[in-house]
Amino acid sequence: MPKVEIKQLTKIFGKRRKAALELVKQNVSKDEILKKTGSTVGVYDINLAINEGEIFVIMGLSGSGKSTLVRLLNRLSEPTAGQLMIDGQDITKLNKKELLDIRRRKMSMVFQNFALLPHRTILENTEFGLEIQGVPKAERQKRAEHALDNAKLLAFKDQYPDQLSGGMQQRVGLARALTNDPDILLMDEAFSALDPLVRREMQDELLDLQANVQKTIIFITHDLDEALRLGDRIAIMKDGKLMQVGTGEEILTNPENDYVKTFTEGVDRSKVLVAENIMIPALTTNVIVDGPTVALRRMQEKEVSGLVAVGRHLTFRGYLSADAAVRARKAQLPLRDVIVDMPVITPDTLISDILPIIYDATTPVAVVEDGRLRGVVIRGLVLEALADTDEEIKSSEAAPHVTEPIEREEMQDV
Amino acid sequence: MSNLLVSKLPVEKWVSEGVDWLTQHLSGFFNVIQSAGDAMMTGMTNGLLAIPMFLMIAGVFLIALVTSPRRWGFPIFTLAGLLLIANQGLWQDLMSTMTLVIMSALISLVIGVPLGITMAKSDRTQALVQPILDFMQTMPGFVYLIPAVAFFGIGVVPGVFASIIFALPPVVRMTNLGIRQVPVELVEAADSFGATSWQKLLKLELPNAKNTILAGANQTIMLALSMVVTASMIGAPGLGRGVLTAVQHADIGAGFVNGLALVILAIIMDRFTQKLNTKPSQKLPQSRKRHWFVLATLLVMVGGGIVNSFAMTSQSHEKISLGYVEWDSEVASTNVIGQALKARGYEVSLTPLDNAVLWQSVASGQIDVSLSAWLPNTHRALLKKYENDLTVVGTSLSDVKTGLVVPDYMSAQSISDLTTEANQVITGIEPGASMMIATENTIKAYPNLAGWQLQTSSSGAMVSALEKAYKNKEEIVMTGWSPHWMFSKYQLHYLEDPKATMGGKEAIKTLARKGFKSDHPEVYNILAKFKWEAADMESVMLDIQSGMKPTKAADKWLKANAKTVDSWFE
Repeated sequence: MPKVEIKQLTKIFGKRRKAALELVKQNVSKDEILKKTGSTVGVYDINLAINEGEIFVIMGLSGSGKSTLVRLLNRLSEPTAGQLMIDGQDITKLNKKELLDIRRRKMSMVFQNFALLPHRTILENTEFGLEIQGVPKAERQKRAEHALDNAKLLAFKDQYPDQLSGGMQQRVGLARALTNDPDILLMDEAFSALDPLVRREMQDELLDLQANVQKTIIFITHDLDEALRLGDRIAIMKDGKLMQVGTGEEILTNPENDYVKTFTEGVDRSKVLVAENIMIPALTTNVIVDGPTVALRRMQEKEVSGLVAVGRHLTFRGYLSADAAVRARKAQLPLRDVIVDMPVITPDTLISDILPIIYDATTPVAVVEDGRLRGVVIRGLVLEALADTDEEIKSSEAAPHVTEPIEREEMQDV
Repeated sequence: MSNLLVSKLPVEKWVSEGVDWLTQHLSGFFNVIQSAGDAMMTGMTNGLLAIPMFLMIAGVFLIALVTSPRRWGFPIFTLAGLLLIANQGLWQDLMSTMTLVIMSALISLVIGVPLGITMAKSDRTQALVQPILDFMQTMPGFVYLIPAVAFFGIGVVPGVFASIIFALPPVVRMTNLGIRQVPVELVEAADSFGATSWQKLLKLELPNAKNTILAGANQTIMLALSMVVTASMIGAPGLGRGVLTAVQHADIGAGFVNGLALVILAIIMDRFTQKLNTKPSQKLPQSRKRHWFVLATLLVMVGGGIVNSFAMTSQSHEKISLGYVEWDSEVASTNVIGQALKARGYEVSLTPLDNAVLWQSVASGQIDVSLSAWLPNTHRALLKKYENDLTVVGTSLSDVKTGLVVPDYMSAQSISDLTTEANQVITGIEPGASMMIATENTIKAYPNLAGWQLQTSSSGAMVSALEKAYKNKEEIVMTGWSPHWMFSKYQLHYLEDPKATMGGKEAIKTLARKGFKSDHPEVYNILAKFKWEAADMESVMLDIQSGMKPTKAADKWLKANAKTVDSWFE
């Protein structure tokens, strides 16, 4: 039996719900319904089964009803129609007291903007759920401290939320949710308000956590990469309707309809690709001001083995490899003297023209316009871009004599 | 459309009848509130007054010092301000005002915060209450005094009642706003953890809305303070009375001093309430110690008060309440009687009131005695209205005249001579005064006064206007009465009144409430014998006018006329 089962769940906001419901059944679009009845369709006819211990990601653009769906699960908003089974119990039929009990014991929620109570310390925030349940002070503090310790935040327990960074605040939010020891964690765009690096860290932490505690996690996001990293299964929503449910692989390989297809593609392959479509921001070093030490430090930080050398205002100069930087440091040379050439293309170069250049290059290919660096193109991107096109790649059987710098995925985190 | 203008809707009648009905049917309830409220307020004022003045000033200074550490401005201002008020002899008034403000604010908060919470929780309640609040806030404060007197008589209770109505809206609005402004995510978070409505209110909404609510409370306190002056028109004691008296006598200095005392009190209260507004993370680490210190200081102050009140011997005297209107003649006579009775061991309270309210208060037994009835003409309407509920004790002064007065340099000798003098304006006194009604009738009765206007002001302001006109030899026509010190200061004469609409022969009579005779037979007899001449009165009036305190001027006259006075007390 699945942990959570959703049957024909519908939520309509506004006054004339009946009329709106009729129109939804006729497949009338959301905007049209709003115009005719003044009611908004939150979600319509959702059927899902979520298994115990899986991270189930619900994704979609803003306005697709994903946040509404998660709020229906703990009945922060009341469903218009349909059933919600948790452990085989229909929670839409619960009275107030039973519902409070479910919220207190079975589900906890983590919010996009952390939703920490500003007038309480971190510890008081973390123990909030237990306080609501009337757990004695000593015990709830012990449990809250334990959760904070796991989140490496115990030292901050007497601080107030506005004294912490966003990442820390979200850890508190997560610790608060976990202190209750719920079966189900609802996470509503929990990492969207964090900067990309912290966001990645949090994703890793969540995966670690899931390996330890085995909760059922329902994770809402609008970010495909996040969904692919975290989700055991992914559901894609559009205008309150479910488009497709499946593993990341299934969704990428067999998109059931055009919407999912375009949604999952970073680029639209219907037009002919040029360099501009696939290039990524370059990792650069300004050779006029930077020395070898700075350049090496930057390579280490970004986990790459080479940087594009530029002058002032991003004027393109060449390529600086790690080896060259080390050489320059030993010999006390300025970076200008050790940079080498790298292949250069313009933004409107066609992918088919880039291919031969990429094969022969020992470095990424620089995209330069009017002497200015616009970005770089790396091999992986080209391959990916072509993977679904009909164009055959003339694969050279010869082993590539190139070892190009391994560009980490961060570079795709644009 | 024309019908609309022909038959007027009897709104006034409806309201009056409604208030009358309430007064009749709920009189028991109102009386309980009034006596309980009066007892509470008097107790509080006495409690505040029991604390030795300098102990209190020192205590407030210390608390100010502790609540704003390393900042000297506010504590020093507090100290200097309170010392100045004490120095000006306004301490007792200040305490009465404090009682009024604290009570009004407290009751407003007790009513307002729950009301605000209810509003925030229900859109329907909000839609219902919002227009009522708008109505309460925009209706001029004076209007509330009328039903307040009808319900609770005169004194501090109706003052509090009117202040509450006026001061309640901000705290209700701000509570509503504060709770509605709690971020949706926080409310959802509390819900998602299974908080009940009460838990949500106590653990999330109120703490979060605290600062907004406190800002509303601050506004409420300030509005209650601003009502102090208005409330003193119906006998609320305190600094407001000083301001009002100063206005009616056009006494700039006294008005400024009383006003300044109110400003000082307002600033102190404002700063103290603002100190309660802190961000949680800005809490000072040693705030625990601070709380204890403030508590200890308060305890010392209260202790001092208790010790002091034991030290004060309480004697029980016969209590007589005298009411008067702030006309110079009545200030003189009431103070003379007041001082004479005090000297013989009676406990006397003097309450300045608006004329109509005074009559009503004597009729309803709120006030024992009034020495300010001008009969038979000037106050005829009032006598007719209340004659069954009060006793005319006697005549205190018989050579009284009322009429229109002009300076001697104007040529007019009779009202029928008036044409276009003084821009066709008659400078009058308070709008409720009966002389004003007589003047209105005069304007109607004399054809040559068609197009003339009656300008309302106050007794003091009228004299100021005269002073100014006299200096520049400008024309002025006033509503005048004698005895009045202005006749001994300026060259003035009455205009003849062939139609006798301004009142013929007048006398000032003494009124007492029904039952006063049986309660205080001695005093009743004294009042029945009390009689003096216009010259006596004018001498006291001039003393007061030239800057002597009314009580001092009365004492001076009593000393000089000891024989006459003794004859009253035989």
